[in-house]
Amino acid sequence: MASADKLINTDVPEKDVFALHFLRSLSNLRTQNPLNSPDKSIDRVRKIKKAAYVSMARAAGGNSRLWSRALLRRAAKDDNKSVRFSRRKRKISSKRRRSNQRAPVVEEAAERLRNLVPGGGGMETSKLMEETAHYIKCLSMQVKVMQCLVDGLSQK
Amino acid sequence: MLEGLVSQESLSLNSMDMSVLERLKWVQQQQQQLQQVVYQSSNNSHELLQILQFHGSNNDDLLQSSFSPFQMLGSGFGPNYNIGFGPPHEAISRTSSCHMEPVDTIEVLLKTGEENRAIALKNKRNPEVKTRGEEKTEKKIKVEAETESSMKGKSNMRNTEASSDTSKETSKKASEIQKLDYIHVRARRGQATDRHSLAERARREKISKKMKYLQDIVPGCNKVTGKAGMLDEIINYVQCLQRQVEFLSMKLAVLNPELELAVEDVSVKQFQAYFTNVVASKQSIMVDVPLFPLDQQGSLDLSAINPNQTTSIEAPSASWETQSQSLYNTSSLGFQY
Repeated sequence: MASADKLINTDVPEKDVFALHFLRSLSNLRTQNPLNSPDKSIDRVRKIKKAAYVSMARAAGGNSRLWSRALLRRAAKDDNKSVRFSRRKRKISSKRRRSNQRAPVVEEAAERLRNLVPGGGGMETSKLMEETAHYIKCLSMQVKVMQCLVDGLSQK
Repeated sequence: MLEGLVSQESLSLNSMDMSVLERLKWVQQQQQQLQQVVYQSSNNSHELLQILQFHGSNNDDLLQSSFSPFQMLGSGFGPNYNIGFGPPHEAISRTSSCHMEPVDTIEVLLKTGEENRAIALKNKRNPEVKTRGEEKTEKKIKVEAETESSMKGKSNMRNTEASSDTSKETSKKASEIQKLDYIHVRARRGQATDRHSLAERARREKISKKMKYLQDIVPGCNKVTGKAGMLDEIINYVQCLQRQVEFLSMKLAVLNPELELAVEDVSVKQFQAYFTNVVASKQSIMVDVPLFPLDQQGSLDLSAINPNQTTSIEAPSASWETQSQSLYNTSSLGFQY
């Protein structure tokens, strides 16, 4: 199937978009750090990781994708400490009750995928597949960007 | 008359779609009858009477002659059907009964693009007619059920129903394509045509389509066959990517504090210049970009950072994407992708 599939649109922006977002978030981190200067490396790692995910979500289209929306909400939730556990399993369970013929093999794997992909809890399996495809593309982009960054920094 | 048949309906509905007999009958009837149905929308009872009359005379011949080709079929496909259905044609055409797949299942099938492997007979059917014809056909089903249950074909139908339920996964498939202008309806032989299972099948088709798409994206999925293996691969890949992100962020965290001082001499001016003035975030992006020109070889060209260039970068534009594009085009920072 060509990537220009009419049914599924998983176009991902170019690498530079991701790069820009990520660098921006990193610079924001850097400006914050001199003030706080966290000593523990774990916090720093976590911050960078979170910045990476958030920037990825923004680069991938902000609210246009379910997973990016869920990711951003999760990030905002952590900051605000307002817990709203909204894993909408209700929708799924009602559909599942109807028939058990739903290819249990697929459903098990879909469960595991839902745990991995942000925002997967409220999605039907077919929608989940689309989101996963887009998510994978964005993740690989982000990894490339970060790899370039690391290589550049380590060379210097 | 009709109320008593309601109980029969489920039986007839289940059995109908399975047996060749009923399918053929139905297919034949559609051509003749639906047009009648359309135009005689007001006279239900009259048609039913006609059906009953026809039934009485022809059912014996019909059932017997139709069952022999049915047994011939085994796991056969198209040609068998055609051969077997030759003789009963006349008999069938005499009857005006029609066995039905329930019409709503056909609506479900409309959304799917199922492919048929064996083609029995194709008919065309009007979508608007369907809604009107739906009641008619259902009533006909009931009528049919009553009359046929009284025949000796009843036991055969039950057998076929049972065997067909188990033969859902067998390769014994025939498809009927009911289409009119734009509606394609396909039902597979040997599979239930009640609404739920058809919707199920449509859904599964969608999912497998999307999984094929995923297969193209995830490297290494081609070697594994079967949904389970592929899904495991996909899950594995997602986990790998996430682990990579974590690992790289750790690396960055290690590298960053070391270089913070080194980078800071170069960048502090830019940072301060921009972060004090910055209202829109767009400009801050331009600050970052010259810091880390990325290329595929991964070699950072920090020496290319020219503090003087920041002034030339301040070009307002509509979106920051176009800004970055223009930035790349105009600046000579050694960007390579």
